[in-house]
Amino acid sequence: MKQISGRWSPYLYVLPAVLLSGAVLYYSVGFTVYASLTDWNGLTRMTFIGLENYVELFQDRTFYIALTNTAIFMVATVTIQAALGLLIAVIARERLIGSTFFKALFFLPIAMAPAIIATVFKYILESNYGSLNETLRMLGLLGPTDTIDWLGSGLGVWSMVGINVFQWMGFSMVIYFAALMTIPDDIYEAAELDGAGWWRRLWSITIPAVRNTTSVLILLGIVGSLKTFDIVWLTTGGGPGVSNHFLATFLYQERTDREAGYASAIGVAILVLAFLLAMVQVRLNSRKEAKR
Amino acid sequence: MTVAAIGTRPRRRVRWAHVAMYAALVFFALVWLYPIYVAISQSIRVGGWANYLAVLNHDTFNYWGAIGNSILIAGTSTILILIISSLAGYAFAKLHFRGKEAIYRLLLACLAIPIAAVVTPLFFTVNAADLRNTYIGVIIPLTAFNVLVMLLIMRSHFESIPDELLEAATIDGCNTFTIWWRVLLPLSGPALATVGVLSFVYSWNEYLLPNLLLSSPEMFPVPQAVSLLQYPRMTQEQISQLYAGLILMTIPSVLVYIVSQRYLQSGMTAGAVKS
Repeated sequence: MKQISGRWSPYLYVLPAVLLSGAVLYYSVGFTVYASLTDWNGLTRMTFIGLENYVELFQDRTFYIALTNTAIFMVATVTIQAALGLLIAVIARERLIGSTFFKALFFLPIAMAPAIIATVFKYILESNYGSLNETLRMLGLLGPTDTIDWLGSGLGVWSMVGINVFQWMGFSMVIYFAALMTIPDDIYEAAELDGAGWWRRLWSITIPAVRNTTSVLILLGIVGSLKTFDIVWLTTGGGPGVSNHFLATFLYQERTDREAGYASAIGVAILVLAFLLAMVQVRLNSRKEAKR
Repeated sequence: MTVAAIGTRPRRRVRWAHVAMYAALVFFALVWLYPIYVAISQSIRVGGWANYLAVLNHDTFNYWGAIGNSILIAGTSTILILIISSLAGYAFAKLHFRGKEAIYRLLLACLAIPIAAVVTPLFFTVNAADLRNTYIGVIIPLTAFNVLVMLLIMRSHFESIPDELLEAATIDGCNTFTIWWRVLLPLSGPALATVGVLSFVYSWNEYLLPNLLLSSPEMFPVPQAVSLLQYPRMTQEQISQLYAGLILMTIPSVLVYIVSQRYLQSGMTAGAVKS
């Protein structure tokens, strides 16, 4: 009796996870792929139309705008968050007085809802009475009647980068910090005795030692960028026009506009990108690993 | 080079380096404090501290209602995630069964799926199941999406527990379930706390799913309730009240952060490094 229960019981234990996550997610992906081949409006019967949605998608100007914005955002946030996170983690490793406070401050935004952070920034970045422009005027960096349209068509994507860095830099900092704590102090001491300066030690010891952490951050940054929705939707909503759309907001807009089949094609594009970029990243990383 | 020179030179350089490091820290701290400062100062700019009372007694926005909705949704999801991820994590870490690796890999592959990519079928399915605009209709997909990374954390935690302990428990007459319930769970306080805190914060902060699936304002959790304080054309007083509302709505997150910062940090580090 006990033998039998031991044999099937493991399946019972993984069943809730498989049923819930596996079923919900694989079903959703399958449904998305199927719906992308139809003219579905989200309510009535679907008619199969083959690859028409994809043909339309590849000719859609908005798709390329969303793709470009997402790509800029991806590269910029991954780079800035990694560089800044590493810098502050390196400083925190020196065990300066007060570094616990600074670490806590930089990590705090992660606990806050992106929706709330986005709304705060929406009003800070507003071009006429927004606080950032008012602060710049006060500091004399901006003329009394000048405005900078932080959420406009050119700067919008960079403001999204800024908001994301504000929220997530602390994450890079914390996981870099954890990685730095595994580097023994005597390596640094030996390098210092050999005359290696701060910069030299950073490039020759620290950065190679945290390489794995960096590649994890790149991977998470790729998936995170394709997920980015809240901060765009709640600040610019993709506008003015369609200039600030990201892939996720573009999809959501099309879905809201009863273009469920077309939205599903965008969804498939996001899934393919997520899969391809993750593969490329894992490949590049294992190749680097092999070279060492 | 004399011995004295070796002894003093690095130290002086370190001191200058410390000044530069403090300067960098203070600079970035000011940047990070700026939005917080703006939110607080703007919240009392027109109307003063009375704005906070006004938000708490608002016509269309129910602060305690939103907090209650968030606690209900995030709390239920967290309990479900704790049970599901610790059971499955235990099976994947300690039990042997056919297809284990394949099932695990298939589950983990889902980590790369952004919710945004599959909102269309999600909406349709929840609607077809007659669960739209219900709490359970939000809790199920929310749990489904968050459980995977928690499974990762639980599995690696259980892997760190020595097999000898399980063998001893088996000799003492435990079956696979009582091993989990009586032996492993009591040893897993910190891991469960990490998963619990992380799940709660993730669920609390989720905006896309409730925005997709809930339409009655009295059911909105905190991130969605932000919209109830915004209007097409806002007066300065309304903007001040909005800021006051945003600050009030952030207080629970900050409290959770203060109480559980350690678990939050270790959870995020574990979740990141193991994937």
